[in-house]
Amino acid sequence: MTAPAAPVAGPVPARWPLLRPDPVALLALPAFAYLAAAYGWPLLVLLARSLSGPQGISLAPLAQFLSDPFSWRVIGNTVRTALLVTLVCLLAGYPAAVALARARGWGQALLLLSVILPLSVGVVVKAYAWQIVLRRDGIVSQALVGTGIWDAPQRLLFTETGLVIGAANVFLPFMILPIYAVIRLIDPRLPEAAATLGASPLRRFLTVTLPLTLPGIVSGVAFVFSLAVSMYVVPSLVIGDRYQTLATLTGRAFLFMRDEQLGSTTAVILLAVAVAVVVGSTALARRLGGGGHA
Amino acid sequence: MPSLSPDRRAVLRGGASLGALVAAPGILRAQTRELVVGGAAGHKAWVEEIVVPAFEKKHGARVIFEGTRSLVNLEKMQKNRDRPYLGVVQMDDPVMILAVKEGLLDPLTPARVPNLAALVPGTVHMDGMWANYLQPWLGIAYNTEALRQAPTSWADPYDPRYKGRVIVPSLQNTEGLPNIFAATALASGKSLDAAQGDVEPGFRKLAALKPNLLTVYTQQPQAYNLLEQGEAWMISSAMSSYALERKAAGAPIALAAPKEGVFAMPSGIAVVKGCPQADLAFAYVDLLLGAELQQRLVGPTFSLPTNRTVPRPAGLSPDMVVHQIDWANVARERDGWIKRWDREMAI
Repeated sequence: MTAPAAPVAGPVPARWPLLRPDPVALLALPAFAYLAAAYGWPLLVLLARSLSGPQGISLAPLAQFLSDPFSWRVIGNTVRTALLVTLVCLLAGYPAAVALARARGWGQALLLLSVILPLSVGVVVKAYAWQIVLRRDGIVSQALVGTGIWDAPQRLLFTETGLVIGAANVFLPFMILPIYAVIRLIDPRLPEAAATLGASPLRRFLTVTLPLTLPGIVSGVAFVFSLAVSMYVVPSLVIGDRYQTLATLTGRAFLFMRDEQLGSTTAVILLAVAVAVVVGSTALARRLGGGGHA
Repeated sequence: MPSLSPDRRAVLRGGASLGALVAAPGILRAQTRELVVGGAAGHKAWVEEIVVPAFEKKHGARVIFEGTRSLVNLEKMQKNRDRPYLGVVQMDDPVMILAVKEGLLDPLTPARVPNLAALVPGTVHMDGMWANYLQPWLGIAYNTEALRQAPTSWADPYDPRYKGRVIVPSLQNTEGLPNIFAATALASGKSLDAAQGDVEPGFRKLAALKPNLLTVYTQQPQAYNLLEQGEAWMISSAMSSYALERKAAGAPIALAAPKEGVFAMPSGIAVVKGCPQADLAFAYVDLLLGAELQQRLVGPTFSLPTNRTVPRPAGLSPDMVVHQIDWANVARERDGWIKRWDREMAI
């Protein structure tokens, strides 16, 4: 965004030419070395294993897995749940991020605390808590019956709806925080300027605020989707054995069936799905933020 | 035992195997003798309170109990195949079969384990590779507030009155396997023993259970929470060692023994091949198979004894039929069953 009238008040952000070697880039070395050893190398081993059959390197195990309709059902479960969780997080998280960015003083500290504090509660504890909340006599069911939306208590526990509600709760902070970080940087005078030019609140949001916050949305979506597509503990506890996802199938293949071939195949497919989304959304973020804002 | 030097290990190993012949134990006893036992984390309490003191008193050696999961014990044995440090393993039978296939176990013989002769039939497996020291049994656990009358048959979980109220274990849990045999018996009219061959009718019958299922569990404590809170009314099948312990702790649940009979769960014990202190390892196994210790263990473990001379715990009918599971068959078929189960029981 080339905001013509925006006065330069703060320090000018440094621009690092990416093509010229920079000593500062060395700062990334410890993290890079750690990830290369603890993530990159095992990943290569996993890839190699998923492609090596009894007759050497082949795509046969992958083809065999993908020729089974049940596998597509598992992939479908995985992607659909992750998309629904991401959507719920976005719809609930965006307004929260706006409120967080607009709040001041103690109000903001309190809101920020309420977003970050849940991250310190273990995911197993949360999953167990959802079991109590989602029960037939739990508060969700009671609220729906009390407000007349439901005629009688229904089962939420061990359904896909219950899983999406529970998982969205676990991952919501990962949507709120990146969007909040971007909104904070928006010059509040931009929507104000639009207002003085007669734009309605909706138009101001759609043409000014939303485009400016898109990079935050994209990174929030990438975060939540890649966490939700690979979640293991939450589905194990909230929906159980009857709803297999790529992550739970991978765990079962390695831990119980001792079928390393199947386990590495499902793990690689899961990885491919997650990488596609992260790379795709990063490219999208770069295009959207390419005007100079990000 | 990282502090032991290889030389000393070798001495101990040699001494242990020659022990009976040359009375070397007298010399070895001068050093601290240790036996490492690998078992289930859930067994730690009764092993350390009852078994270990009895063993240490009798044999003057220290016992270290490493409580984890059966498959982790198997890994420990595989990784240390050349220099085993575990002496005895207490694992479920399905994992024992894997250990036998890998050649990790030293067979039990009546000469080294005299109490083998006192065991009930069907509790010594694969030519003495391992034995069952206790048998928790599998029945139907139910919430006593939701159900006035105890379930009486393996057919009860299929009753339409229990729509959405029944929990079954996953097939990946050992205690989940009898459901296939119970379903096969119900569908075919065969006995629970005869139903373990062709389970095709059982899978078709299980599909009829789907409307009644609240969930299929892999985490046992989670399932019992739901049962105790009344969200679930029944767990079929349920392990005595867990259900009766919760009942004793005051939970509003009970365990019913269906009229067709109950299944015995496989608590196996075996000696690790090439272990240090083999004499101690066999002595430990013999102690656990002996009448005196089993008498003391059936109460706290809510299990059936395997020693013929020990009576069943109080409250269990002497007429209750106990069916053994053909674990070698299970080991062959299990992966296929799990794959089929995933497809047919999916939401």
